[in-house]
Amino acid sequence: MHMDELLRLLKDGNTRTIEQLASELHTTDADIRRQLEFLEHIGAIRKISAQESGCGHCGSCSGGACKGCMPKNAKQNMGDMWEVVSV
Amino acid sequence: MSAATIALLGQPNSGKSTLFNALTGLRQHVGNWPGKTVEKKEGSFSYQGKDYNVADLPGSYSMSANSDEEVITRDFIASGKADVVCILADSSQLERSLFMLADYAGISVPCFLILNMADVAKNQGKKINPAAIEKKLGIPVMLFSATDKNAYDQFYKTMERAIKEKAMLNVTSLEQEYKKVDGYSEICETLSDAVIPGYTPMWLTVKAMEQDQVVTAKLRNTLPNGIQKTVEMFVKQSQGAIATGGCKFAWIDGILDGAVSESKTKAKLGKLDRIYTHKIWGKAAVILTVVLGLIASFIPALPIMVMGMGVDSVNGLIRTSLTDAGLSAFLTGLLCDVLIQGLSFVIKMLGFVFGVTLVFGLLEEVGVMARISYVFDNTMGKLGLQGKSVMPFLVSFGCTMGGAAGARVIDNWGQKVLTIALAWAVPCGAAWAIIPMLSTVFFGAGAPLIIVAILFVMILHMWITAKIFSRGLVKYEDKCGMIMELPPYHKPKWGSLMRYVFGRTKDTFFRVVKVVLLVSIVFWLLSYSTSGTENSILYKVGVTIEPFTKVFGLPWQLFIAFIASSFGKEGAVGVIGALFTGGGSIYQITTSSAVTENINQILLANVSRPEALAFIFAITFNLPCIVALAATYQEIHSVKWTVRIAAYYTFTALLLSCIAYHVGLLIW
Ligand SMILES: Nc1nc2c(ncn2[C@@H]2O[C@H](COP(=O)(O)OP(=O)(O)O)[C@@H](O)[C@H]2O)c(=O)[nH]1
Repeated sequence: MHMDELLRLLKDGNTRTIEQLASELHTTDADIRRQLEFLEHIGAIRKISAQESGCGHCGSCSGGACKGCMPKNAKQNMGDMWEVVSV
Repeated sequence: MSAATIALLGQPNSGKSTLFNALTGLRQHVGNWPGKTVEKKEGSFSYQGKDYNVADLPGSYSMSANSDEEVITRDFIASGKADVVCILADSSQLERSLFMLADYAGISVPCFLILNMADVAKNQGKKINPAAIEKKLGIPVMLFSATDKNAYDQFYKTMERAIKEKAMLNVTSLEQEYKKVDGYSEICETLSDAVIPGYTPMWLTVKAMEQDQVVTAKLRNTLPNGIQKTVEMFVKQSQGAIATGGCKFAWIDGILDGAVSESKTKAKLGKLDRIYTHKIWGKAAVILTVVLGLIASFIPALPIMVMGMGVDSVNGLIRTSLTDAGLSAFLTGLLCDVLIQGLSFVIKMLGFVFGVTLVFGLLEEVGVMARISYVFDNTMGKLGLQGKSVMPFLVSFGCTMGGAAGARVIDNWGQKVLTIALAWAVPCGAAWAIIPMLSTVFFGAGAPLIIVAILFVMILHMWITAKIFSRGLVKYEDKCGMIMELPPYHKPKWGSLMRYVFGRTKDTFFRVVKVVLLVSIVFWLLSYSTSGTENSILYKVGVTIEPFTKVFGLPWQLFIAFIASSFGKEGAVGVIGALFTGGGSIYQITTSSAVTENINQILLANVSRPEALAFIFAITFNLPCIVALAATYQEIHSVKWTVRIAAYYTFTALLLSCIAYHVGLLIW
């Protein structure tokens, strides 16, 4: 079990889904998920949420009627993203 | 004999509170840990005549000193206040939830393991053999459901066994893993049990390698100087938390090996995702999806568009009857040319607001939008951007202002400026209403083709703009890829989706009506003159500048509309409404078709197709609106770059207009 393999893989600059990581590292989705959780906790990667980008930040957002906002329940449908924290 | 104390330890959502409440019932006390804002929950219960105290330790991910919760928890345990620690794990995801146990290993306090959520694991088809796990760990282990009242008898028995046996976790195989890490053995040898009471040298070594602040500070104070230097040297060489974390997971896998069987193997990529995540076809699939989505948005839009045209014909009737009734030309004009005309435009636009919002809302709801963002994520690097820039771009499809604000997630200033500069090229919600509307007016069934052309020009525009702006803004440094979790495909929730679509359409209606009417009235007044429109100020100015505006393929009226669109795309519609209307206005004099009352016909009669094409490109790629300009400044805090971006967009919009005009001349 080498978690630095996951980080090394990302150095090529390509974005990968959890499933792709699992198949490239010959492991399961669940294993990738726990590694992500761990790496997030030690601060090696950072989660970026779709909510953070855009919605609620523009002044015109009164009652969620902003032109840039997605339907409330759709925000979860944008998926989660993690980026590697550069040292 | 005094009562035994049990401490509950588990990650958040492991079911700790449920267990604590079930054990103590009303016999609980909630306070704060001394000097901390962390909640302290204590309680008691009796079982078979014996009293027990329970401490619910604050939930946390691990035993590292990353938060107050974690420090409180491990200090409490190591101080020996608990006779036994009850460690909870989630049976439905043991490979990750046993991490707490792995991090606990090496603390010299008796413990037992509760595999909670047994019912959930069973429903998932997992078969767990607690006896096999118990054998490997050397502590009592049981399958449990904290929500099942009948399971508690077994719980008490397991607890009593752990207390009686003073059960200690067997860490031999974990230590074997640690020994594979460079520096572990060397550090461990320098430490002894006495360094910090309650922790074994193994545990301290691992925390030192993870650069745990509290342990590092303690070691600095307790160890002789020479040994401390050795420790620090090895810590520097070791791979730190990533290496020890890997050992913990490997140990967990060893424990679970043979003790857990799953009926289901790992899920495969769905058919659709195999296309979307394909290296080559992914992009094509995504572009096709967006194009089809935009074209599909015409379907719900067209009936509303027809309604707007209905308003036009009614307008003709009203005008005739008002004139017949003897109302002054000024008032009739104000009412018909400004008010009703403006409304008719707004209604036509609303159809597309409705259509585009519906289609893209639907794509988000079912999860396709996430795939789109995944595909473009990979392309961002080629533009000199980070993958996460894709999010501001997607938001910009709704509103450039939102996109600019969304660029906040990008911490590198140069990349942020570049992201915003590119986000401006993405036509916003207002553009997606006006462009299809005007395209339908001018090009009828050819309108979807215009939309497709705009999308391709957008991509080209962003690519060229990135090339131009990235010099001086971003360095091509090592870029790290991102990780995405694609949400599963959902069935749309039609109720909430429709509520959202109608809500946005309604909001847009009120906002747009205000702008269109205001702009319309100003320009109508400017073009009004009792002695004939050719004497109005606007007409004179217009004719003067026309030789210049023609360079870009725009008649002066459309040029003024273009300028108005810099303040807000709706402004352009207001100008067109005012300057191209029937009675008493400019075109009645300049054209012989004096009796046409229908604005569509007037536009068609007076604007050639190449001019219309030029205009559509000019306003689509003009600066988005004045508010977006302000939002841009707010995010990048640079007047220089804000002005640069704005000037660049004005220039490129006119350039595109000129190109579109000449392309149009070739076609028609
Ligand atoms: N199905 C099931 N749900 C449980 C079980 N134990 C706890 N839960 C539920 O899991 C959620 C989290 O439990 P809670 O006690 O708040 O977790 P804590 O964060 O560790 O305190 C709650 O909704 C509980 O009702 C269990 O054994 N089976």
